[in-house]
Amino acid sequence: MDSRNLNKDGETCIHGTCLDMCPPQEMNLRKREKLVHKLEVTTEGYKLVKCYSRSAADSNMAVPSQLRPFPTLMTTTQYLLLNVSKRKDVKMSVIYNFLDDRLRSVRQDMTIQRLQPEECVKLLEPMIRFYCYYSYRLCKYPLREFDPVLNKKYLLECMKWFLACCDALEKTDLESMTDILKDLNLNKDNILSCDRTLVESLYVLCNLSDIHPLYRYLSLPNHLKRSKLKLAYEIAVANMLGNYVRVWRLAEQLCPLTFAALCLHLPTMQKRGLRVISSAYNSKRLNVPTKVIQQWLGFNSEEEVRVMCAYYGQTATDVVCFNNALFKSDAEVPQPKQHHMARISRLALGDVMFYTI
Amino acid sequence: MYRLSEGDELARLISLRDPHVTNRNLRSSDIASLVEGNCVAPIDEIIICHLLCVKAVIEKDYLAAYSHQSQCVVSVVKVLMSQKDQNWCLPLMYTTCLDLRLVAQKAEATQPQSNGKILEKAAESLLSCFRVCCADNRTSEEDTKRHGMLYLANQLLKVYFRINKLHLCKPLIRAIDSSSLWYQFPLAQQITYRYFVGRKAMFDSEYQAANEYLSFAFENCHKKSHKNKRLILTYLVPVKMLLGYMPTKQLLEKYNLLQFWDLVSVVKNGDLRGIDSVMEKHEKFFISAGIYLIVEKLKITAYRNLFRKVFLVENTHQIDIASFQAALQVMGEKDVDTDETQCIVANLIYQGKIKGYISYQHKKVVVSKQTAFPPLSSM
Repeated sequence: MDSRNLNKDGETCIHGTCLDMCPPQEMNLRKREKLVHKLEVTTEGYKLVKCYSRSAADSNMAVPSQLRPFPTLMTTTQYLLLNVSKRKDVKMSVIYNFLDDRLRSVRQDMTIQRLQPEECVKLLEPMIRFYCYYSYRLCKYPLREFDPVLNKKYLLECMKWFLACCDALEKTDLESMTDILKDLNLNKDNILSCDRTLVESLYVLCNLSDIHPLYRYLSLPNHLKRSKLKLAYEIAVANMLGNYVRVWRLAEQLCPLTFAALCLHLPTMQKRGLRVISSAYNSKRLNVPTKVIQQWLGFNSEEEVRVMCAYYGQTATDVVCFNNALFKSDAEVPQPKQHHMARISRLALGDVMFYTI
Repeated sequence: MYRLSEGDELARLISLRDPHVTNRNLRSSDIASLVEGNCVAPIDEIIICHLLCVKAVIEKDYLAAYSHQSQCVVSVVKVLMSQKDQNWCLPLMYTTCLDLRLVAQKAEATQPQSNGKILEKAAESLLSCFRVCCADNRTSEEDTKRHGMLYLANQLLKVYFRINKLHLCKPLIRAIDSSSLWYQFPLAQQITYRYFVGRKAMFDSEYQAANEYLSFAFENCHKKSHKNKRLILTYLVPVKMLLGYMPTKQLLEKYNLLQFWDLVSVVKNGDLRGIDSVMEKHEKFFISAGIYLIVEKLKITAYRNLFRKVFLVENTHQIDIASFQAALQVMGEKDVDTDETQCIVANLIYQGKIKGYISYQHKKVVVSKQTAFPPLSSM
C-alpha cells in the first residue's frame, strides 16, 4: 500500500497504517520490558495505547506502520476519555498523567500525518475539555502529581490549534464547516462532540487577564458573536473594568467547564477586589459585613473571607474593617480552591464530554 | 559602481519600484548569461536574483518573486558581512528589505491559506539583516552598520503588526532603546518607530507611554503627510481621551475622524446608552483599528462624569448610593443594583478619580470637601 501521497493542498504527506491503538512493535517491546501502565491492564486483558515519545535526531518518526490514521486516532481518543477515565482503582492524578501522555501521542500522530483541519477539530475539542476538566479537579494536588503550568501549556496549544483550524475552515468553505459542526452536535451514539462556541468561550475565560482573546472575539463573524460566546466576552470586559459584582452575577449563567475555567482566576480576582474595597471602604469606624464580601467576591464561606482578609492584612470578624494602609499588596496570590458552586466537582469526565452550549 | 561604493545609485538599480523594471530587454529568458561577464562578484548574485524576481513579478507569480527576493536578501547579507568597517551598502539592504516585505505581502494576498506564514518567513530574513547590523559594534560610529537598525526594526514592526505577533516586538524594542545612536537616526524613521511602539504600549495598557510615543510621532510628522497623521491620531485620540483630554471638533474634522466626536459628547455626558450606540454605529471602524476595547474602557470615564453631575446637582458631600444607582439606570444600565453601583464607585475611588469613601452601613458616598472629582488630566 502506498502510504505517501498528496493531500488536498498538494503537499506530500504520510498516511499511517496502524489500525490498533498501539503499534505491534511497541506493544511487544513494552510487554517484554515490563513497561505496561497499570491503566493498560483491564478486565478484558491488555489494552495498550501508543506512548508519547520525543522526536530525537536519530529516530525516524514518520513510519506508516507506527502511525495511526484518523479513524483509529478518533477511537483511541474516545477510548481514553470515556473508558479509561472511569477507572476507580487509581488516583485521579494518575489517570490524568496517563491520559495526558497518550493524548500527546495522538497529537504527535496528527502532526506527523498533517491531518486536515476538519479532522483535527474533532480530535482536539474533547482534548480541550479534558485539560479544562482536570485543571480544575486537580488544582489542589501537590506539584509532583499535577503541574498546572504544563496543563495550561497543553491546553493553550490545543485551543490555538483548534481555533486556527476553525479559521482555516471558515476561509475555505463556510457551509461545510457548519455541516461538520451540526453533524457532531447531534451526538447520536456517544460520539464526542465538537462545539466551537464552547472552545471560543474557554479561550476567553482561560486567559481572562489577556487582551488578545478579546481582540480575537471582536474579529469573529457575527453569528458567533451573537451566540453564547457573548457571555464570556461580557465577563471578560466586566473583569477588565474591575466590576467584580457583575462578573460574579454573569458567572451564574456559565456551563460547568467555563465556570471551572473562571474559578481558577478567582484568587486573582478576589485579591484585586479586596484591594479596591479596602481603598474605597477605608475607615477606622465603619465596616462591611463579612457576608457581603463573601457574596461580592465569590468566597465559599465567611470563614474563607476572614482567612483571606487576614492574609492581606485586614481585620475581620463578623464584619471587616478595611484599612487601606495595611493592605499587603505584595502578598502572593494563593492557589485556587474548589468552589461550592462549581458543578464540575460532582461530574465525571465523561459527563462534560457531550454537552454543547 | 560597486567599485565606487555608490550605495544609493546601486540601490536604485536593484529596486523593484524603479522604472527600469518595465524595460522589456530585461525579461530575457537566460538571465544568468545576461549578467555573466557584465557584473563583478559579489554583486552579480544580487543582480541575478533581482532580475529573476522582476520577471516573476511581471508574470504575477508573487510566490516565486518572493523566493527570488529572499534569495536576494541572503546575497545582500553576505555582502554586508564581507565588508568590514564600512556601511555604504546599507541603502542596498534597505531597498531589498523593503521590496521583500512588499513582495511578501503580495504573495500573502494571493495565498489565503498561508495565514501569515510567508510574512513570518520574510521577517526571518529581515531579522538576519538586523542581526548583522546589531553585531557591528566595533566599527567607528560613522561607519557602523548599526545605522541600519532602526530602518529594519520598522520593517519588522510593520510585519509583526500585520501578522498580529506583537510579542515578537519586545526584543526589537529593547535593542533599539539600548542603542546609543538614537539621535542619529533619521527623523522619519524615528517617527515610524514611535508610532508602532506607541501602538504596542496602547495594547499593553500603558497609556502614559503610548501618549508620549504617539504625541512625538504626531508632532514631528510632516505637515503634508495627512494620511500618516490621521493614522497616528486614530490611536492618539482614544489614548488621550482615556487620560482625560478631549479632542476638538476642528481637529477631528480636519482628519476625518468624526467617529470620535460622537464618542466625546456621550463620554462627557456620562451617557452610557449613548456609548453603546456609538460603539454599535462605528463598530467596524473601532474593531478594525483595534481600539474597541479602549472605547470600552472609556466607560469608566463616563461613570466618573455621570457621578460628578449627580454630585453637582445634589450639592452635598454625602451622596446616597441610591442617587448614583438611579443615574446609572436613567443612563441605560437598567439592571444595575446597589451592590454593582458601590462596586463602580469603589473602583473610581481606588483609581483616585473620586476622593472620598463609601459607608456601607449608611449606603452613602462621602466625598472630599476639596476637589471631590479631580480633573482626569491631573492624574
